[in-house]
Amino acid sequence: MDFELIEQSLPYLIQGALITIEITLMAVGIGFFIGLFAGIARICRIKALRIIATIYADCIRGTPLLVQIFLIYFALPMLIHTQINPFVAAVTACAINSGAYVSEIFRAGIQAIDQGQFEAGRSLGLSWWQTMYYIILPQAFHNILPPLGNEFITMLKDSSLVSVIGFEELTRRGQLIIAQTYASFEIWMTVAALYLIMTLAIAKFVSFMEHK
Amino acid sequence: MEDKNSTPYLIDVDHISKSFEDLHVLKDVTLKIKPKEVVVIIGPSGSGKSTLLRCMNGLETPTSGTVYFDGIALNSEDNLNKVRTEVGMVFQRFNLFPHMTVIKNIMLAPMKVRKVSKEEAYARGMKLLEKVGLKDKANAMPSQLSGGQQQRVAIARALAMKPKALLFDEPTSALDPEMVHDVLDIMKEVAMEGMTMVVVTHEMGFAKEVGTRVLFVDHGTILEEGTPEEVFDHTREERTKNFLSKVLK
Repeated sequence: MDFELIEQSLPYLIQGALITIEITLMAVGIGFFIGLFAGIARICRIKALRIIATIYADCIRGTPLLVQIFLIYFALPMLIHTQINPFVAAVTACAINSGAYVSEIFRAGIQAIDQGQFEAGRSLGLSWWQTMYYIILPQAFHNILPPLGNEFITMLKDSSLVSVIGFEELTRRGQLIIAQTYASFEIWMTVAALYLIMTLAIAKFVSFMEHK
Repeated sequence: MEDKNSTPYLIDVDHISKSFEDLHVLKDVTLKIKPKEVVVIIGPSGSGKSTLLRCMNGLETPTSGTVYFDGIALNSEDNLNKVRTEVGMVFQRFNLFPHMTVIKNIMLAPMKVRKVSKEEAYARGMKLLEKVGLKDKANAMPSQLSGGQQQRVAIARALAMKPKALLFDEPTSALDPEMVHDVLDIMKEVAMEGMTMVVVTHEMGFAKEVGTRVLFVDHGTILEEGTPEEVFDHTREERTKNFLSKVLK
């Protein structure tokens, strides 16, 4: 075990870990809003919206993230005749992917709220949107927090897939060091440890928020 | 076209039927209610009495027939929104908003629907809380209150919109016996002040004392109706007699 190599590589890998966090935050952050609207669309009274949101969620959840990354980075530029830089492609693919899962989380969270809450809001003269905004969503957020934390952890791990388009996050940086040093064991163990530290920290944070 | 002022009735249920698949819950029910009436609906469970009540503010849509409130037909989203600001509803399970304090529960609709200022909504909310005897609970969360207290807050919340009518859907059925009285007292007080009320209940004492009209609903139709004396003391229908003999023990 070459500890010196690990020590030397660590700053470079930690920087990669920060990029991993950055891309995950952006993906889940954008995905959160996509998911919020898609989740509401899936239960609203307008049939066309329901259908579109359902197709979106089904298509994204039914295909691998890796293929979605390829579609956006390799296939989409052929269609629009413009190169997309790896960062934009990575965030876009992950956000669209995350949005589909988050929409499912919102749908379930909203439907778990007692129907009587909705009736009480409507009976007081609040509109559908006002009832959703002031009464249903604030209660749903509480239910949604744990699965949302899980989604964040999942996305943090799955973001390693964007290494295949050459985007230099944690996993890609591991590959690059190994290409020069052939120290597979040391570097992959270090990369794995860094992922583990991040996911454990997030899990702790989410359970802390839950009990607040 | 409906002429808004041509009707002496506040609530006009016009030949409505309601079915869920093969189940006919309401069968061609017609019911006209004038302002200041206190109509008490009694009947066995599953008779359709709650569904009838819920049709009056559009929580259920009749399969056929129309409900008019103050001359406005409950047949479009716009009209529904308009009518719901004028009709309050009190539920069996209270349905307070658990993430808001008691006073915020009461202030929400006046502020968001009526666009009343925060100060005014607060002042009015506190006055209503005083009326229902819960002024000291203004900043409590609903979960900190007993069932009876929650239901009194729910009544205050409905009154905050200054509705023209209040609908009660078995308001005391989920309460412990010792709390029923407090809630009924407040309902009585509201009735005395001239509120038009439609009350689905199993509280026969309330029906006798406060009701101006009693309806016995069974199998989706109004089987018998009249003043409390007529229905309770000079019962005509055999099924009503049978029902009353069971609940009046």
